[in-house]
Amino acid sequence: MAVLVDITKCIGCEGCTVACKRYNNLNFKAKPRNVKDDDNVELDDNRWTVIQEFHGEKNDKLRFVKKQCLHCKEPACASACFSKAIQKDEKTGAVVYYPDLCVGCRYCLVACPYSIPKYQWNEQFPQVSKCQMCSERVSKGDAPACVSACTTGALMSGDRDELLKKAHEIINSDSRYINHVYGEHEVGGAEWLYISDVPFEELGFKDVSNVPVTSYTKSYLSKVPGLAACWALFLSGIAFYNYRVDKNRKSHDDDDQDKEG
Amino acid sequence: MSNKMSRRKFLKVVAGSGVLGFGVMASGCKGKPSGGDGWVSSQYEGKGNFPVNLKGRVAISATNPSIERDDEKCILCGQCVDACKNVMGVYGNYPLPLKQEIACVGCGQCVMQCPSGAITEKSHVRKVLDALDDDTKHVVVQTAPATKVSLGEEFGMPQGTSVGKKMAGALKAAGFDSVFDTCFAADLTIMEEASEFVHRLTKKKDEIPHLTSCCPGWVKYCEYFYPELMHNLSTCKSPQNMLGATIKSFYAEKMGIDPSNIVNVSIMPCTAKKFEVGREELEVDGQQDMDYVLTTRELAVLLKHKGIDLNTVAEAEYDSVLGESTGAGRIFGATGGVTEAAVRTAYYLATGSNPPADLLDWKPVRGMQSVKEAVAGIPGVGTVNIAVCHGLENARQLLDGIKTAGSSKWQFIEFMACPGGCIGGGGQPKSMDAVEAKKKRIEAIYKEDTGATKRCSHDNAEIQSIYKDFFGKPLSEKAEKYLHTTFVNRHDRLFD
Repeated sequence: MAVLVDITKCIGCEGCTVACKRYNNLNFKAKPRNVKDDDNVELDDNRWTVIQEFHGEKNDKLRFVKKQCLHCKEPACASACFSKAIQKDEKTGAVVYYPDLCVGCRYCLVACPYSIPKYQWNEQFPQVSKCQMCSERVSKGDAPACVSACTTGALMSGDRDELLKKAHEIINSDSRYINHVYGEHEVGGAEWLYISDVPFEELGFKDVSNVPVTSYTKSYLSKVPGLAACWALFLSGIAFYNYRVDKNRKSHDDDDQDKEG
Repeated sequence: MSNKMSRRKFLKVVAGSGVLGFGVMASGCKGKPSGGDGWVSSQYEGKGNFPVNLKGRVAISATNPSIERDDEKCILCGQCVDACKNVMGVYGNYPLPLKQEIACVGCGQCVMQCPSGAITEKSHVRKVLDALDDDTKHVVVQTAPATKVSLGEEFGMPQGTSVGKKMAGALKAAGFDSVFDTCFAADLTIMEEASEFVHRLTKKKDEIPHLTSCCPGWVKYCEYFYPELMHNLSTCKSPQNMLGATIKSFYAEKMGIDPSNIVNVSIMPCTAKKFEVGREELEVDGQQDMDYVLTTRELAVLLKHKGIDLNTVAEAEYDSVLGESTGAGRIFGATGGVTEAAVRTAYYLATGSNPPADLLDWKPVRGMQSVKEAVAGIPGVGTVNIAVCHGLENARQLLDGIKTAGSSKWQFIEFMACPGGCIGGGGQPKSMDAVEAKKKRIEAIYKEDTGATKRCSHDNAEIQSIYKDFFGKPLSEKAEKYLHTTFVNRHDRLFD
């Protein structure tokens, strides 16, 4: 399951953000936690998706960019999570957060190349919050809530390969589009894909490498379970050895005592 | 044995729960993912391209001067999209990607359709209350013709109750220093517009068809979508702003008040008026004609806040100098009213005598038909073909027809943005049966016209005296300065 965002079609009604708040029962009254210098509101624990406004250099290109988790194919957040609270759902492709497993370390906040996960700083028992791509709806065959509320067709959901094909068709048929599908290769590819007629750098998109973040750590992190097992075995061995030595010494002492007795 | 937790015991519990937690996680238990505890309407079930009949919403910019929306109340039902697209012909009629702004004419029809009350007018109530409390300010209020037949609904009166005098009484009780009548300004508009029309008919034929410009929603629509017709628009300001300019010039001079201490408030059936008051082209000597606009609904809020009940308040007359009105000024509130009033006076201007009885009860321009056609025979000018159009989607179809034909068969076309004219405006009381309400309000308006002793704008004694004392004659230099305006081409904000 993937979503294609055609930035040229968005009129900034923010119906998607309302659908998200409704479906996920987020607080409408919460004040934005992060407002950028250009007055755009950033994601926070009550805003899993936001619309950001850009005007173009000559103020003649009003564009709205929907921001939310891109649901990477190889999510750095999930790789950083040692308690498996963030997992990539194989069936839907969504990168899903399970609060019951979370220990609150916030490694995911640091690991994400797009700074998407946010934290409930105001809660006594805080959780991480981020777009779940409505994984329960999607697994039933529905579109994510935001996609269902889009009137202009700026959001399209479907199979990732088909949407990629469609994205390239749109780009090839209309010369105004930039020949770049953001999310096709970025940090190994994502489920959310963007096409635009304005360069992505001007719309607040991060210029990230195409190498999955996880690949930097994979070579040694993959050895961690084995190493941990070996280390545990080693420590157990030492403990067992010490136990034996102790026991032997005790029985030896007992023997000596018997002799003396 | 002591109950105290030893250090060893504590470490064991911690390590043990860690091992247990690791075991739970490693065994694949994960619990429920976060999110999804809320509610969305079941019409959004189904795939993204599922053809549901209604969904989503229109875009409303944070800087929109007319309307705003409370996201918490929005249920994404799509009624606003329907109103904007099918009634007003705005949504979906400009190309994507966007250029400079989100198209909105401020008509407020989305407000009327919004079933959850999420979209409302941008309120000026607080500002007006503050102005009323400020002793240094002279607060002047004017009431639009269409509000006189609708305000009663907010106080439980039957639809179509005429409450003009009660409203004047209520406004005086609320503390406004002078209460004037926009119907007076409608008469003034007719004097200017009828003169302009006769002038165009006889001397400046390239500016025919003559398009009315009283409706700020329609004017902005024309600027957005039909800039090539902007020179056909009447240069007359809307009655609201004509009266505003007159108050800050003629009235201020007469009363010896510094215009900068005057706060001009208007009671309008309209949300587009809130946009209109901020237009730079309407300023005279760097001064805005109008300061605040209250919709009919907002006035009800203000009166209730002040503890004034329209049912029991004493009736009062509108204040003199700018308070007299004729039947012609009152019918401005209904579709076709401007045309009928203008024809009455155009007939007088051309012939020097009042129009015959059939032009005083001119059925072809009345009623809710989308486009009405009529022919007026004016001696000395000839026959004038007239069209009356309300609802901007209707306007789009009519104007596209003119564009394809290359010329217009009508010499005079009246446009009103809202269905039914101002009586169906975006600032009017909401009702369960809007169609019936509009019908009753229109009936009430025409009843006021037939009941009036003076039926034609040029018979208004205060109009005659203001021309004698201040403006000279219609289209004079002074009248041009205060009562006429220019327009802004907004086409390139939407189109390449």
